[in-house]
Amino acid sequence: METVLQRPRRSFLRDWVFTVDHKKIGIMYGVTALFFFLIGGLFALLVRTELLTPDGRFVSVQTYNEFYTMHASIMVFAVIIPILTGAFGNYLVPLQIGARDMAFPRMNALSYWLYLIGGLVLFSSMFFGMPDAGWTSYPPYSIQSEGPGIDLWVTSIHLVGLSSILGSINFIVTIHRMRAPGLTYNRLPLFTWSMMVTAFMQLFATPALAGAVTTLLTDRHWHTVFYTASAGGDPMMYQHLFWFYSHPAVYIMILPAFGIISEVIPVFARKPIFGYHAIAYSSVAIGFLGFFVWAHHMFVAGMQLSAGIPFMISSLIIAVPTSVKIFNWLATLWGGAVAYEVPLMFAALGFIGSFIIGGFSGVLIAAVPLDLHLHDTYFIVAHIHYVLFGGSVMCVMAGLYYWFPKVTGRMYNNKLGHLSFWLYFIGTQITFFPMHFVGLAGMPRRYALYAPEFQFWNDVSTVGAYILGAATLIVIFNLAWSAVYGKEAAANPWGARTLEWQTSSPPPAHNFDKIPVVTENPYGPYDKPEGEPGLSPA
Amino acid sequence: MGGTWLPPALTQMAREADTLFYVMLAVVTVFFVIVEVLLVTFLIRYRRSRQRQVGVAVHGNNKLEVVWTLIPAVILVLMGAFGVKYVYAVQNPPANSYVVHVTGHEWFWEVEYPNGVKVQNDFAIPAGVPVLFDITSQDVIHGFYIPAVRLQQDAVPGHLTQFYVTADPKDIGQTLPVPCDQFCGQGHPTMVGSMKVLSQADFDAWLQQQKEKSQ
Repeated sequence: METVLQRPRRSFLRDWVFTVDHKKIGIMYGVTALFFFLIGGLFALLVRTELLTPDGRFVSVQTYNEFYTMHASIMVFAVIIPILTGAFGNYLVPLQIGARDMAFPRMNALSYWLYLIGGLVLFSSMFFGMPDAGWTSYPPYSIQSEGPGIDLWVTSIHLVGLSSILGSINFIVTIHRMRAPGLTYNRLPLFTWSMMVTAFMQLFATPALAGAVTTLLTDRHWHTVFYTASAGGDPMMYQHLFWFYSHPAVYIMILPAFGIISEVIPVFARKPIFGYHAIAYSSVAIGFLGFFVWAHHMFVAGMQLSAGIPFMISSLIIAVPTSVKIFNWLATLWGGAVAYEVPLMFAALGFIGSFIIGGFSGVLIAAVPLDLHLHDTYFIVAHIHYVLFGGSVMCVMAGLYYWFPKVTGRMYNNKLGHLSFWLYFIGTQITFFPMHFVGLAGMPRRYALYAPEFQFWNDVSTVGAYILGAATLIVIFNLAWSAVYGKEAAANPWGARTLEWQTSSPPPAHNFDKIPVVTENPYGPYDKPEGEPGLSPA
Repeated sequence: MGGTWLPPALTQMAREADTLFYVMLAVVTVFFVIVEVLLVTFLIRYRRSRQRQVGVAVHGNNKLEVVWTLIPAVILVLMGAFGVKYVYAVQNPPANSYVVHVTGHEWFWEVEYPNGVKVQNDFAIPAGVPVLFDITSQDVIHGFYIPAVRLQQDAVPGHLTQFYVTADPKDIGQTLPVPCDQFCGQGHPTMVGSMKVLSQADFDAWLQQQKEKSQ
């Protein structure tokens, strides 16, 4: 029989809109999330600009409330979760387990499009009326709030939530069923381990959020009374549902980030990861314990105070698996041959150096007696930003630089990379550390106007925020420019041993010409390199 | 400089909370310094100096894992245990407390005294007597927060929350801010009341004066 070789027809529509290739979907997630990162960052700068003066000269209180709501909602729902699970997860998991794609490629595409539409719905509120009740959107205020803002917010949450649930099912099935021959769970790369735990958390937690925002919507428009106290409803119920999702969501936003660190540090230290099993299983411990700490957001919300005690203890204990990871990463650096490449700088100094501040402040506010003072002050704002910015965003940066040559086949500009690292590292401390001070002094959060005694540290924070804004533009420019004009990179410029580096850069559509057979754990010992390109002596 | 650290503590309970804060801060600072010093030391000491250098082939150490799991676990649980007594102390007000009703409104605090006198935002308490705040809200959730006593409770419609304050006689004459710290809309940042500490005699006179004003 005669075979006719026909080149596949190509067009933008075919290549991107109709694609079911996990790598392209991952890239689309990444580009979309970075776009929303710029928007969310712009709102952060507007918020910080308003806080330059205590008397609110820049925008009205109402506008300020909308700005900080948009900042937080975009960053949580349209940036950090999708870039970690959608971009890194989608791109890397099938490659790391030696599969040709995700288990359900079409559902994967659907997840992306739901996320894009959800993000755009939130984005569109800029033109139709923005939500103004904070990213937590507590009733009764969120029921009373007028205009379409909260409704658009709820719609957006539904869409990105559905996207999350579909994505998590996809990851669970993919990791469970599609690992290459020989790739047992005890040989699974640590990023994939963290993605599996994250997927389970998304699957179990997200429905609670869907329930919370659905009932909020019906209370707003169809005269239900879930949260109306005078009719027998209870506003606290919303908070329980919301935090039953949103505390696990904090781990959804940090576990994949931990996974990135566990990939980056051993490669650049050229040393096996220390305590592979401890790092893998501590993720499982965090995933499990993460469901038993939610009420620490509600110590002063009307619960009996002593009912907070078990949640205080569980919140303190969840610091244990996290500190186990930190110690193991430090031990990985010990005795290593550490190359000061950009991803390592973000992972080691940037992430470990900053994230632990958020971890330690978390221990303080986990204690009921201290939370009675610090709850809803800027101390909390400092804490969450050290965790999400000093933690998650530092890891995202480490991951973007680390896998950039894999995804594009080109190398980023090293000088700009180092510049962006130092600006990020210093900017993070300048922006977020002073928030501890005004928080201790009793400055409440979500204040457009504040007492003059708080101005000095607020101004310092604002300067730091501008530095972070500039650094972000440098990162985006570096990635965009280098993707087109960067030096060509080798298939495995870092000498990494996980499977995604054992194929070409960028990988072919089918990922591997031959499905690899795995015979050992992917973290070394590392062979002495034979003068391969891309590794400059430090 | 004002606005940089804990404000002066008004009550014995607040001083106890501060002690707990300093103890916990000391513990986490020790760990913070250990981690940062190790991190920077390892980064400098083990910097790759030759292109073909590799790290030592060590995969882990079970003893170390046990040590750095158990030590933080014990310290963390102990820190939690130290706080338990304080929690019950806050939760159980003395039986002879002077009860004051606080209601959150958009956007002011309404404070009602046992004799029926109601004042808005600026209220007073007698020193030396436990004053119990019974807190609720008329509309949305507010946060009744007195930084000087290190305590707050949300004002939730349909719920009654409470905490008590026993001001030291030495603080008579002080006026302390009482900001709303649970977001409640446009008036949130200006919903800041004040609490004045008076001697029992001055307080009685003040209350009488408020009563006459309202009639």
